Amino acid sequence: MQTKILLDEEQIPKQWYNVQADLSSPLDPPLHPATHKPIGPQDLSAIFPMELIRQEVTTDRHIDIPEEVREVLQLWRPSPLYRAHRLEKFLKTPAKIYYKWEGVSPAGSHKTNTSIAQAYYNMKAGIERIATETGAGQWGSAMSFATMLYNLECTVYMVRSSYTQKPYRKSMMHVWGAECIPSPSTKTNAGRAMLEKDPETPGSLGMAISEAVEDAASHSNTNYALGSVLNHVCLHQTVIGLECREQLAMVDDYPDVVIGCVGGGSNFAGIAFPFAGDKLTGKHKDVDIIGAEPASCPTLTKGLFTYDLADEAGYTPLLKMFTLGHDFVPPSMHAGGLRYHGDSPIVSRLVHDGVMRAVAYHQSEVFDAAQTFARTEGIIVAPETSHAVKSAIDEALICKKTGEDKTILFNCSGHGNFDMTAYDAYYSGQLVDYEYPDALIKEALARIPKIQ
Amino acid sequence: MKRIGFLINPVAGMGGAVGLKGTDGNVEEARLRGARPQAQDRAQITMARLSLQDGLSFITCSGAMGETTLKETGVQDYQVIYQYNGESSAEDTRQAALAFKKTGVDLILFCGGDGTARDIFDAVGRDVPILGIPAGVKMYSAVFAIDPATAAELVTGYDVASLRDSEVMDVDEEAYRAGELKTRLHGIARTPVLAGKVQISKHVFEEEDEERAKKEIARFIREIMIRDVVYILGAGTTTDAIARELGIHKTLLGVDAIKNGKMVARDLSEKSLRVLLEQGQEAKIILSPIGAQGFILGRGNQQISARIVKAVGRENLIIVATPHKLRETPVLYVDSGDAVLDTEFGDTIQVISGYRMAQRKRIYRPELGKKG
Repeated sequence: MQTKILLDEEQIPKQWYNVQADLSSPLDPPLHPATHKPIGPQDLSAIFPMELIRQEVTTDRHIDIPEEVREVLQLWRPSPLYRAHRLEKFLKTPAKIYYKWEGVSPAGSHKTNTSIAQAYYNMKAGIERIATETGAGQWGSAMSFATMLYNLECTVYMVRSSYTQKPYRKSMMHVWGAECIPSPSTKTNAGRAMLEKDPETPGSLGMAISEAVEDAASHSNTNYALGSVLNHVCLHQTVIGLECREQLAMVDDYPDVVIGCVGGGSNFAGIAFPFAGDKLTGKHKDVDIIGAEPASCPTLTKGLFTYDLADEAGYTPLLKMFTLGHDFVPPSMHAGGLRYHGDSPIVSRLVHDGVMRAVAYHQSEVFDAAQTFARTEGIIVAPETSHAVKSAIDEALICKKTGEDKTILFNCSGHGNFDMTAYDAYYSGQLVDYEYPDALIKEALARIPKIQ
Repeated sequence: MKRIGFLINPVAGMGGAVGLKGTDGNVEEARLRGARPQAQDRAQITMARLSLQDGLSFITCSGAMGETTLKETGVQDYQVIYQYNGESSAEDTRQAALAFKKTGVDLILFCGGDGTARDIFDAVGRDVPILGIPAGVKMYSAVFAIDPATAAELVTGYDVASLRDSEVMDVDEEAYRAGELKTRLHGIARTPVLAGKVQISKHVFEEEDEERAKKEIARFIREIMIRDVVYILGAGTTTDAIARELGIHKTLLGVDAIKNGKMVARDLSEKSLRVLLEQGQEAKIILSPIGAQGFILGRGNQQISARIVKAVGRENLIIVATPHKLRETPVLYVDSGDAVLDTEFGDTIQVISGYRMAQRKRIYRPELGKKG
């Protein structure tokens, strides 16, 4: 039985798929943080190159991938699609489980799919330096790799708790020639203000974004790059799902269930949007698309669908998305990449519209799943990815109960080779099952009018 | 140089092995039943380790209450400032602790059980931090190290600035021997903490500062308090922090009631709680796990009986605890006296551990064992 389903290099997609083209109505526009009026391209031009701004708002269904970008992608793409025979056998499930393995990229995750494109467009626009943030370090290392290829300088603001937790991610960034600073730092006004408010803060993605945006806005040769959330980032990730669809067609299959883990939403978008497009256009109405998120930062399952800031300090536009509030500092759990208060506006919209759904898991149960996966398929996944693994296993176990032979596809977004302290914590019983006390918060919120 | 007051309750733990469930007032009986002193053996493990350390100076009692062990383990730097005669008593423990406090010590290290902890706390209160080498029959108090070796680690490694609150529990020995566990929160002592005692916790960046953690919890609870709802605050310093956040002075060991940011009743008994809840008053109960084992109900908060919990509604219980406390109590216990109610709590419970943050903790299920 075939285990790896492989495409040839010329089968790397030539165009990205833009799901905005297939939404029933346009996305709610981003709003200016001060005026609360829809922002225009000019508002973003201080920190983004024009082509990425265009990709952010376009409703064109397909956008060409520049040949120079495809050439770099060729280093690891097309990525393999695996049939998880051993996991299926272990679970004794009639379901067919496939996983797209994005850990083969130089930085070890899907993040390079967009870092290459973003660095390329910035280079083309004459930009010399990129300022960016990173949560767990995946994005920071992916951007360091990409900027190096196009001779750009790179400064990465890394969430402080991860900076301490994952020293090797920092080392990777150094190897690729980038500068990595723990956030909040004393380098920016935003960072200094946060440190003054709370010198012991573990930092958050929202804080690090503020610092990187401020850095970019205050240096004319510098642009900002975001590793998730934004529409153009999700767009670049669609190579994942597009390849999957081809690979599954090679074995005459199509998924009943598509799963990804969700922090800011980009890897989930990457695997899911092409299938969400099939669902929106009526080609495959029944495909079940699931985003798996941490119970400690349950944006899609417990957040509100509303306009909120994308960062802590309030530099970014207001985005219509599921959010726990931009001042929410998620606990320092091991899936640092999923510690984000908000979510991609497109993912949020699709969840809100019922095209996709979300589930939330505690830390220890996702590590149980990651262990099962490592002991069957061999790959030690990143703690973020383990949420997708857990969801896939859950779906397969449901099939075991019902006897259905569903096809389950999940995005195996990155390896956990730099996350072994997290596994150590798991084995020594030190994992804390953080969760968001949403019932108490919602009850209090619901009663607010009574106070006034 | 750390000055450590060191004392042993020589008879601690003797009753346990011979089925006496406690040694207070029963030493002769314990001896007759063949009990052997074991506190010295336990203390020796700790002191053998500490004898190798520099920078420690001991103040102690004569003979079996301390000096003998220090001599046997080769501790050089010590001074005997309290002499006792004949059989050592609870009064000797109190007097020695008081003498330690007067002469000025950074920490009292004692070897004993809950009774010893209570006697020392009665003498020195929160003025002097205390740490127990576990040797008693009952150890429901949270002032004990996990084992004698860890006690040594705590003495050498703790930072004077980082102390935590730990409950001293009072166990009614007469009732205990009769098969009934009656514990009461006797006081809240201060105990050394080893920051990053478990290596991994350094990496996960836990909330290490207890005071800060309590403030974060209090800030959150204040934010979610609803108008016209009565909040019943259980005993302990975490619930006290909530009262302080509201500018209210709470009874530390008692149960108080707050409504619309104001104290409405102090130090409530079970009966007065029932009166308060009559006429369908909407209420929520805020509790912190008590004691070394982490009891949500049944220890230290007895006023909040099963009947009270049922009147308020189990879903209206809000459990609060600092991350440190939760790390020390991997499993929480519920012993409301009503087995059906205890079961209704299920396998896990949400515990508020920070600002807009909670942890899901396992509840002990006897049939499943500690792992749940």
